[in-house]
Amino acid sequence: MGDEPTTEATLELTDVSVRFGGLLALNNISFGVLPNQIVGLIGPNGAGKTTAFNVACGFQKPSSGTVRFPALGKGALKPSELAKAGVARTLQGVGLFNNLSVLENVMSGALSRPGGGFLTSVLGLPHGLGMERGLRSEAMATLERLGIAKFAGSIPTGIPYGIQKKVSLARALMGKPKLLLLDEPASGLDESELEEFAHLITELRASMSVLLVEHNMDFVMPLVDELVVLNFGQVIATGTPSVISSNEDVLAAYLGVDE
Amino acid sequence: MNFLKSLRVQETTRARLLSVSVLTIVALAISFLLPPVADSQMAGGAAITIVILGLSWLIGWSGQISLGNSGFMAVGAYAAGIWAHHHATTPLIFTFLLATVAGALSGLIIAIPSTRLRGPYLAGMTLAFSAAITPLAQNFTSVTGGEGGLFLNSLSTPSWFVHFFSGPNATIDANAQWTADLAVLVAGISFFLMANLFHSRTGRAMRLVRDNDVAAELVGINLGRTRTLAFVVAASFAGLGGALYTVINATVTPQTFPLTLSITLLTLMVLGGIGTLSGAVIGGIIYAFSANLVDHINALTGVNPTSNLGANMQGIIFGALLILTMIFAPRGIAGMGAAVQRLRKTRRSALASSSAVD
Repeated sequence: MGDEPTTEATLELTDVSVRFGGLLALNNISFGVLPNQIVGLIGPNGAGKTTAFNVACGFQKPSSGTVRFPALGKGALKPSELAKAGVARTLQGVGLFNNLSVLENVMSGALSRPGGGFLTSVLGLPHGLGMERGLRSEAMATLERLGIAKFAGSIPTGIPYGIQKKVSLARALMGKPKLLLLDEPASGLDESELEEFAHLITELRASMSVLLVEHNMDFVMPLVDELVVLNFGQVIATGTPSVISSNEDVLAAYLGVDE
Repeated sequence: MNFLKSLRVQETTRARLLSVSVLTIVALAISFLLPPVADSQMAGGAAITIVILGLSWLIGWSGQISLGNSGFMAVGAYAAGIWAHHHATTPLIFTFLLATVAGALSGLIIAIPSTRLRGPYLAGMTLAFSAAITPLAQNFTSVTGGEGGLFLNSLSTPSWFVHFFSGPNATIDANAQWTADLAVLVAGISFFLMANLFHSRTGRAMRLVRDNDVAAELVGINLGRTRTLAFVVAASFAGLGGALYTVINATVTPQTFPLTLSITLLTLMVLGGIGTLSGAVIGGIIYAFSANLVDHINALTGVNPTSNLGANMQGIIFGALLILTMIFAPRGIAGMGAAVQRLRKTRRSALASSSAVD
């Protein structure tokens, strides 16, 4: 998919290193995600996957190297600038707002869109209310698309884990992202939910790039276009799932350990 | 009770305006029925309601604790007092706006270091601010009038209002009536603005930051700016409440805003219900008539009101009420109302489903 050399990557990490005191968490890693591509970031525990994710999101400053979003026309971004630039990220676990209804959780995904300032809020001006109404019906439509509309009024803590994960995805989608970063989307899901999620992500690639960190190889292998394998803070292999699954370094480092 | 529902989320601003107006008019009507002493108490309660609205927004919605709101009140009160001292003929509305802006500025100054702090550290920082305000007011005598404060004859009841109630058969104390009505009106407007804020996009941003700051950043919220805005809004409401104090009393003194007032504000907010609009009004009402309650309890228990115990009775009662509320109704009196409503609803639906089975 989109392998022409002229295509600009949506996300590009170049020679990124992260040092925590004496520990080298990431050692000169480089990888990219092309438009409409699904990339999986895998590796054993402590390989640096989450650190790589945090560097991409601006939660962690790289000690050296660069993060860029060429297709979005952006350099490194702060976490609060991601949404506006077209980058959405889900968090490990679910990361929902636990005292807000599911509908409000999803609506909040569109907070980076213009919607009137403080004066509009405090005076309750009509155009602000109109936008809120529009947002509410859009959030409702997103919930319906994911088949969880009946939970709109619930509080996140009171609904099944799989549904919570979908809510978290719905919230990310409300930002109309060009790049979706999924942090362990499969964890805690049962067979049928996994299948559903894989299907959803495949559907999403029509309008965005997806980068996911995942442990569950059965979930990742058939889903992604490309795998980036990390071990001890280094990229030990990059390639299509079929190439990776026969790479001896990878088998030794990761797949072999997993029986 | 149905129109109260329009205060909630999905209603239009017009519906909200209408219901707040109805509430305000009811309060004004009540003020005409009350004796002058109760009118003065009502005025104080209305001013406190405004401050609690801000505090509830800050603590309940943005999740930041503050023990500095008596300080913000003092800033607004002195801004209004000092201005009125030098400019006797300024329209009141301008004085109120000035005090609100002054409160907002003090909130901004406190917020810049404070929003980097959490929990007890934030409480300590804001506590230091409200502790510093009283000595400041006491020492800059040339501006603040020092220990004795400022007396503001220019803030007396307007003559048109006095004339209105000065017939041969006048039974109404124009001064008490004026302060009560003015305070209720200003509180009504504040309530309307805060109701809008609560249910706006800005209000949602606050709750996101409170619930999960990492996720909030990822949906595009600038944490520092949002937390600062929360402080500025709370401080401007406190400033307005303080200015109302100055106008009601026609004086401003350092002793009006002791550190303990911040604690009282917190107590009242918890009693009423954290993060609720009605809770702020309930807190204001409790504050207004707490003196009567204290007198009543002193009389009941035979405690001498001028004794050490009697003089501290308010603190004792508030403390006991606070503990009871925390244990039995952590969401305050407003939360109790909502819980009863929910209970009735579930019982009704249970009845409906059981009769459907029959």
